[in-house]
This record gives sequence, structure tokens and C-alpha cells, in this order.
Amino acid sequence: MSAAGLVFAVQGVNPWTALWKIFGGSFCRSFGFFETMTKAIPLILISAGLSIAFRARFWNIGAEGQLLFGCILATGVGLHSSSLPSYCVLPLMFLAGATGGALWGTLPALLREKYRVNEVISTLMLNYIAAEAVQYLIYGPWKGKTQWGFPYTDNFPPAASLPVIPGTRIHWLTLLIGLVMACAAYFLLERSSMGFEIRVSGENPEAARRSGISPLRVSLLVMGLSGGLAGLAGTGELCGVHHHLTYPWAISSGYGFTAIIVAWMAMLNPLWCIPVSLLFAGLLVGGDAIQTSLGLPFATVNVFNGAILFFLMLAEFFRENKISLKRSASAGA
Amino acid sequence: MNIFKTSCITAMILSAALSCGCGKPQPPVKSPSTAAGVPAPTAATSEQQQVRKFKAGLIYVGPVGDYGWSNAHELARLQVMKKIPWLQSIVVESVPEADSARVIDRLILEEKCDAVFTTSFGYMDATVDAAKRYPNKLFMHCSGYKREKNLGTYFAELYETYYLCGLMAGALSKTGKIGYVGAHPIPEVVRHINAFAIGIREINPEAKLSVKWLFSWYDPAKAKEAAEALVAEGCDAISFTEDSPAVIQVGEAHTNAGKPVYTFSHYSAMLKFGENSVVSGQLVDWTGMYEKTLSAMHTGTWQSEDLWWLLKEGAAVLGADFRQTINYRHIDMLKGVTREIEGFGAINAYDLVNKRLDQMKADPRSFDPFTGPIKDQTGAIRIPEGHVADHDALWSMDWFVEGVEGRTSQ
Repeated sequence: MSAAGLVFAVQGVNPWTALWKIFGGSFCRSFGFFETMTKAIPLILISAGLSIAFRARFWNIGAEGQLLFGCILATGVGLHSSSLPSYCVLPLMFLAGATGGALWGTLPALLREKYRVNEVISTLMLNYIAAEAVQYLIYGPWKGKTQWGFPYTDNFPPAASLPVIPGTRIHWLTLLIGLVMACAAYFLLERSSMGFEIRVSGENPEAARRSGISPLRVSLLVMGLSGGLAGLAGTGELCGVHHHLTYPWAISSGYGFTAIIVAWMAMLNPLWCIPVSLLFAGLLVGGDAIQTSLGLPFATVNVFNGAILFFLMLAEFFRENKISLKRSASAGA
Repeated sequence: MNIFKTSCITAMILSAALSCGCGKPQPPVKSPSTAAGVPAPTAATSEQQQVRKFKAGLIYVGPVGDYGWSNAHELARLQVMKKIPWLQSIVVESVPEADSARVIDRLILEEKCDAVFTTSFGYMDATVDAAKRYPNKLFMHCSGYKREKNLGTYFAELYETYYLCGLMAGALSKTGKIGYVGAHPIPEVVRHINAFAIGIREINPEAKLSVKWLFSWYDPAKAKEAAEALVAEGCDAISFTEDSPAVIQVGEAHTNAGKPVYTFSHYSAMLKFGENSVVSGQLVDWTGMYEKTLSAMHTGTWQSEDLWWLLKEGAAVLGADFRQTINYRHIDMLKGVTREIEGFGAINAYDLVNKRLDQMKADPRSFDPFTGPIKDQTGAIRIPEGHVADHDALWSMDWFVEGVEGRTSQ
């Protein structure tokens, strides 16, 4: 914390003022808090999913791509939904989003179990493929007729818009889905036999194999769930915030990567992902408060976030490992 | 156990941040709502009685330190701040499109801004919503087309300047192959490429303009790669839309190695990155526009309108930097290229550029690069003889003129 404070002190701003601005701006003011909630929605969904995958020691770095591929399928439904009855547009879009994310997630699972392809590489690379696919669609076949040649798809029909809490941008349906999914993920991991299989495969793959747990089945399962939740998060962003498909970095703004940190800080416990997501969303939202009121550059916010994370990790290390100072001389420490 | 400990850490950090923030209130930080302004309102009461203060908030899509778009707005803001004593301003940089609604709210509710300027096309819908939500505040959206009673639009348009650079590229190119590194295939960039191509082909009707897309506004590595690819294809003059001097550095390296590749400054003065390669360029100066708009807002005479400023208004500027319109190293070469041009007779390229520049500075209607007949890539006439492309046609342009090699979509 003091190092983070130093970042501000160097720029001639009282660190306490800055901290008050960040957390006050995102938690204490009603509108800041609503924005924090809005930002936390995708983080909750994705980090809960990642917790499942990480518990099975499947290093899924590809939530970003899974989110985007979910968005592609959901957009496909949204753009061609005019003939559908309005009440089934949103469920279908969410279904398509989850399916897209799950498909994009199970691909590296297959690659790992069948061809021994390292999943860190494959999930990371699939992020880029999904992003390029979105770019192709928004500049090519799906470029909107009503968007003056800009790379956005046409806006979705009103039936594909998620309701928001009036006066805020919180699409509460996705929030509800997120909370339910986080709880469901917790019960799956901690209270079901399937969760037991997942945990055993993660903690002792050899024992898992000997006791007849199929690695393929577990990998497909965790990645289907992890990707599916990322796809749901993407669909929520599409229908709740953007209402059309556009540049991949505008759709996601790095949620898939931030959620990795969130999942680890929540110690891979889906329930803990909820408050940690809120904390991180608060850091993101509070970031513009210190720009507007203290006139600090944008990069300061990132440095501050990085410092907090680094020291949290450090704290974790010292908590898990006992450090003892040894001296060769007789004097004890 | 684990959970408990981490929760303690998190709670400690949160409570430390909150309690210390509240426990040691700085004089101006008693409550968040009064902590808003940098200079506290009380300090200025004596001046306030004479001149009412006016607070403007600006939202940028990129970092203020880029070499292009956001930097140009920031330079103008700093200029205007120097000129106008009653102005206060706040900037928020690197705001993602999806977050713009929140930042506008914050500027108005917490910082009590009187006017908000949003400077990216992607902020359009959020700005329109905000204008409806805060009818007593004023809004200006840069590069959009939706207006309200309290929401105007503004834009500094560069197609005339691109055309003039095209004349120079056409005159200097020996290979007849000219390159363009484009950011995104959107109408603005397509229109600029077309204007550049029209200029090139007025001097050299056989010349070809090869376009490479980056799909990014800022990506120096990709821009460098694209420029190298164009040089390898035989291009010896390259223009670009990208917020870094990467293309110019490629041109300078080849020029210094004995193989001239001519380049053009884009958006900000880039001559210093390529003393031998940069010929001229399209520059932007937003100062006048901000000064005019803010003054009108302050006196209460402002009305919602669409500001579309060109060379005449001084928003678009032709130059390798703001002092040298054309790099003196290249003037003699331009004077050595003579063509028969309707209305001027036999004229060298240097004089032609200056004559056209004077024409468009005096009155954009006296000469417009997009005057028919103009054919597209297939040879079909898009702008018939005697017609000039109007605002809407320019605004939604999604086709390339004859002589451009490349596609406007993937």
C-alpha cells in the first residue's frame, strides 16, 4: 500500500486523497457504485468459470476469446431474430453465447488430451483468432447498413435488449445469472462428485487416472463450463451495454484477462469471486475519478492497480511460507 | 482458513483506504462533492463577480501523449487555456467507448462541468443520451452526425490537404507506385485515400495507389511492417493514417540509404522524424474551433450546429510541420515537374500546389477535389461531370476511386 501511495506522492498528490478518490468514487457514491456493479458482472461470470478450470489445473488463458466467440454466435441470433417471437430472443442469444464460449473452450481441451498441445499456448492463440473473426465480421458481412460505413453491426432489435435498473447501466438479469452461476459453480466444485473428480484431477492427476477418472472428460467439462460462462458474460455485455457487435477490444476491454487475476485472488473459490470482482471493478471505475479530480494521467491508475496486485501476491506468499532468518553466528535473531 | 485470511487482507485494505480517506480530511476534501474543482470556487469569488467562470470537460479516446488525434485536441486545449482567463478545463484520457457514459456523468455530476466535449465517434450514442438527460448542459461531439438542441458536432476535415499531398506524391514518384497505410476502412479514411489518389492521378494518370489496412489507430509495429511491404512492392511515396511516426521512420531509413521514399506528416508535425523523407503533410489545429465554441458558450450565444472546418477556417493545415508548408529539400524537384492543367496552362507541381492551396483557403467552393467526373475502381462513374460530392456522399463514402488497389472491406 505504501508503494502504491508512493506512486501518487511522486506526482505531488496526497496518497490518502488519491485512495479516497478511487474507492470513494467507486463505492461510496451511488452512481459510482452502480458503475462498479456494471463492471463487476462480466468479471463475476468469467472468474467463476476460470476457478473451475484452474481447480482442474487447466490453465485457461483464453476467456477473452471464449467471450468473443460467444458474442459472435449471440450476434448471429440477434441480427436474424426479427422472425422470432420477442420473448425467446434473449434466451436464444444467451444460449448461443454460452454454446459459442463452450465450443471455443473445449477446442483446446481436445487439443490437449488428444494431441498433447499445451493449453496455455492454444487458449492464448485462440483469443487472437476469435478477435480476428469478430473484425472480419464487422468489416465484412455483418457491417451495419445504418452505421454510416463504420465497423459496427446494425443495432439489435429492442427484443434483444436486456432491461437495466432505471437510472443505472446495471443489466440486472446478467447480474442475477452471474450470482446464480457463481453459487452453482461453488456447489459443483465443493459438493458434487463431479467437483470431486475435478479437484482430484487437479491436485493429483496420477491418482485421478488410476481411480478411473477420464482426463478427457474432466478437461471437456471444465472448459465447456469455463468457456460457456465467458460466453454468457459476452452476451450480457452485448445485450446490456453495446447493443451491437463492434471492435473486439471495445466489447470486452480485457475482462478475460482481469478475471484471471480475480480468480486467483479469490483462491479459486467461485463464491469469493463475487466480492473480489467488485473490488477490481471498483479499481477500474475509480481510475477515472483520480483523472478527473486530481488531473493525474491514465497510466497512474494502471501503476496503482499493478502495485496493489503485486503486494497482495507478496502478502499471500508470506502467509503461505514462513520466513526464518538464520545466522551462522551464535547471536539469535 | 484460507478464505478467512484473504478476506481479512481485502477488508483491511478497503477499510484502510476508506477510513484514512475520511479520517484525515484535507482542507478541500471534506465531502466528495466539494472536492471537485482543482481551484476551489471560493478562491475565485472576487474574479467571479467580474467574469463568470466556465468549466469544460474533454474526453479523449487515446493517451494525450500519442502523436495524433488525442494529442492534437490536448494541444488545442492548452492553447485555449492560455488565451481565455475564465476557462477551467478537465481532461480524461484513454476512455474506452463503452465507458464514456460513466465519464460524462462524472464530469457533469461530480465536477460540475458546464460543457462536455467527447472526441471519438464511438462516444456518439452516450453523448446523445447525456444531452437528453442534462438539458441545461452543453455538449459537443467530435466526428459524429447526431445533434440535439444542446448537442453540436465538430470536425476538422482533411480531404483537401490529402489531395494537395497527392499532387506532390504524384510529381515526386519515379515508379508510379504509391502506397497508403490505412488505419480502419471507415468512410473518413476511405475519403482521404480517394482525395490522395485524385491528386496523384491529376499529375500522373497512370499511377497506382496501393492500400494496406492496419485495423488499428495506433500500432507502430504493424505500420512499420506495412510500410516495408509497400516499399518492397516498389512504392516510393507513402502516406498514412496512424497515430505514430513509424511510416516516416521507414521512409527516412530508405531515403538515407540512397533509395528515396517520400512520406507525409499525418495529424501532428512529424518532420523531425524524417528530415529527408517528409515532403509535406496534413496537419490539424483545433485551437480556433475550441476557442470559438467556448466563447460562444460562455456568452450564451452558442447554438447547436455542425462545424465542418477545412483549410479555409485554419483547422486543416498543409505542412511538413507548422512552419514549413513544403520541405525546402523537395521544392526544386517539384518545380521540375510540369503539366498542362485546365485553368492554369503549363504549370509546375510546386506552383500548382500553392495555387490550389490559395484557392481552397479563399473559398472551398472555388475548387473541390471531389468534382466529377469521378470513376470508381470498376470504371463506373460515381460523381457525374459538373457535380461535386456533397457532405452526405463524403460522409458515407465506401468505394475507392479509379487507380486505387485494395478493398474497402475485408
